[in-house]
Amino acid sequence: MDNGERFDTSRMKRSHWAAHFLEGWSVFIQNPLGKAGVGLLILFGLMAAASVIPPWIDPMYRPMTGVDPEIVRSVGPSLKHWLGTDFMGRDLFSQLLAGARIAFMVGVSAAFMTVVLGTAIGMTAGYMGRTVDTLLMRLADIIMVMPTLLFVLMLAALFGQLNIWTIVLIIGLFRWPGVSRVIRSQTLSLKQRPFIEAARVAGASHLRIIFRHIMPNVLPLSFLYMTFRVTSAITIEAALAFLGFGDPGTVSWGMMLQWVWKTGHMFKAPYWLLPPGICISLITLSFYMLGRAMDEVLDPRLRKEEDA
Amino acid sequence: MPEPILKLEEVSKTYRTKGSMFGGRAAGLVKALQCVSLEVLKGEIFGLVGESGSGKTTAGRLIVKLESPESGRVLLNGEVLSTLRGRRLKAYRRRVQMIFQDPYQSLNPQLSIYESVVEPITIHRLAAGRERMERVLSMIQTVGLSPPESFVNRYPHQLSGGQRQRVAIARAMVLEPDFVVADEPTSMLDASYSAKIFNIILEMRKRFGITILFITHSLAAARYLCDRIAVIYRGHLMEVGTAAEVIHHPLHPYTRALIDALPKFGLAEQIPRYNTLLEEERAGVEAVGCPFFMRCRKAHRTQCGREVPGLEPVGPGRFVACFFPGNGGGAGGKGS
Repeated sequence: MDNGERFDTSRMKRSHWAAHFLEGWSVFIQNPLGKAGVGLLILFGLMAAASVIPPWIDPMYRPMTGVDPEIVRSVGPSLKHWLGTDFMGRDLFSQLLAGARIAFMVGVSAAFMTVVLGTAIGMTAGYMGRTVDTLLMRLADIIMVMPTLLFVLMLAALFGQLNIWTIVLIIGLFRWPGVSRVIRSQTLSLKQRPFIEAARVAGASHLRIIFRHIMPNVLPLSFLYMTFRVTSAITIEAALAFLGFGDPGTVSWGMMLQWVWKTGHMFKAPYWLLPPGICISLITLSFYMLGRAMDEVLDPRLRKEEDA
Repeated sequence: MPEPILKLEEVSKTYRTKGSMFGGRAAGLVKALQCVSLEVLKGEIFGLVGESGSGKTTAGRLIVKLESPESGRVLLNGEVLSTLRGRRLKAYRRRVQMIFQDPYQSLNPQLSIYESVVEPITIHRLAAGRERMERVLSMIQTVGLSPPESFVNRYPHQLSGGQRQRVAIARAMVLEPDFVVADEPTSMLDASYSAKIFNIILEMRKRFGITILFITHSLAAARYLCDRIAVIYRGHLMEVGTAAEVIHHPLHPYTRALIDALPKFGLAEQIPRYNTLLEEERAGVEAVGCPFFMRCRKAHRTQCGREVPGLEPVGPGRFVACFFPGNGGGAGGKGS
C-alpha cells in the first residue's frame, strides 16, 4: 500500500463516454417520439442531400433558374416533373429538395448562435450575480418582449431585401434571452451545490469552476434548447419568406408558398401549395419530438417504469 | 502540551434572511455564531457537537474560508484568515480541506472518480504525469476503494453513498493537508457504514498526522472519534473538555439533554437520566439571558433569564458556560 506501489493502469477502462452515450441513445430511441423525430429528420436530411441531384441531371431542374422550355405555366405532376411546375415552369420537386437544405441551414445555424449566446450570457449572469446579473437579465427582458418577426419586417422595410445570413443573424440575436434565463437559473442552483464549494476549497479559480464544473452540467440543457430553437428559427424564416421579405436569392419552403400566393395559384394548384406547407409542419414537428425525447434522456424522472 | 494549530477568537457570524416582498415573513437575522473562541491542538480530533442550526457547520465553513466572520478572527498557525489573498490564499487552500456532509452532492456528477480526485493536485501543480496518477490511485486505495483501477473511471452515480464519501475523503486527503474539517461525514450514510468512515479518518490521522475538526450531532460518534469536544448551542459554546469527561461527567444541562437523547438499550426506567430538558419551552427573551434558558429545567428565573453565562474554566482544560454547572441546579426549576 506504499506510494511506491505500481498500479496496473491497463485495467482502467477508458470507454466510459461511449457507454454513457449508448445508454442515453437506447433510452432516446425507445421513446416513440424520439423514433418518429429521428425518422423524419433522416428523411429531411436525405432530401437536403438529394437536392444536388436534379440540377446535375438536367439544368432545367435548377430550383431557382432552371425553366422547362416546353412549359411556361404551372402544370400538375407528371413523369418529367414529379410535383409539377410553378408559374414559370420551374420544377417543384427540386425546389422542395432545395428548401430542405435551406431549412436545415437556417434552423441549425440560427439555433446554434442562439444557444451559444444564451449559454454564455446565462452562465455569466448566474455566476457573477449582483450588478452583472441584473444588467444582463434586464437586457434579456427588453429583447424578449420585442417580437422578432416584427423587428425583422421593419429592418426589411428599411433596408430592402435581407440576405439569408442576415436573417439568421437577427434570429440568433433575438432568440437568446429564453435560453439564457434557463441557463442562468441552472447556474444559480449549481453554484450552491457542495461540489462547487469543494472545488473552491480545493483552490479552483473562477475560470476552472465555470468551465470544469458548471459548464458540463448546463451543456445538456443547452443542447435540449437548441432543438426547440431550431423549430422557432425555421418558422420565423418561413413566415418572413411567405410575407415577401425573404432572401430572393434562395429557394426556401416559405418562398415557394409566397410564389403560390403571389401568382394567384393558392386554390388552383394544391400540388404546389401542399408540399412546402406539409414539409414546414413536419420538420418543426420532428425537431420538437427530438427535443421531447432528449428531455427524457436528460431527466430520468420522465422515464416510464419498465414492467418487470 | 502540543501547540494550538487553529484558533477562533471571539468569532461571530450572522446571516440575514430575506423577508418576502408581500408581508409574510419579515427580514430577520440568524445569529449562527456568537463570540465563539476555541483552540484546536495540533494532531488532535476535535469534535464540535450540536443540534441542527446550532452553528457548527458555519464554524467549519469559516475555517475553510467559504464564509468570512463578521467579527473576530480565525487563525491557522498564527495566520489570520481574513487577510489571505491570491497566492497565500491558494497555499492556505492546499493546507486546509473539507469533507462535506452529503456525498450525493459533493461530487460533480459529470466528472469521473479519477478526475475528481486528481483535480486538487492539478490545481496546486503538486505532481504530473505518471507520478500524479500513482498518487491518485494510491489515495483511492488508502480510503478503501480497492482495486483502485476499477474505480477510477466510474462516475459518482455508479457508486454507493459510502463509496462516494470515500472518494470525497480521498479528494480532501490527496493534498496531504494539515487541517481537515469533516462536516458530519456520516450523517447521510447507513449506520453500519459510519464506523468504516470513522476508521478511515483515524487511519488518515495516523498516517499523515492531520488535525481534524469533526462536526457532528451525535455524541456517540464524537466519543468514538474525538480527543476533545466542544458542545455548541445556538451559536454559543456550552461546554468544552476531553471527550471522555464531557460524555461521562457532563456539567451543562444542554450536554446532559443531548446524552439523554442518545438511544440506549434496556428498560426505560432502569436507565439513569439527567432530565434537564423542559417539555415545553418557557417564555423569555432569548437575546437577554442564557441561550438555553427557554429549554432548561434547571434554569434560575432571575439570573439565567437576564445574564449570559460566560465560558468559565471548571477544571484543567474544562470549560462550562452555565451559572449552575453540575448537579447543583438553579432553585427556581419549576418554570412557568
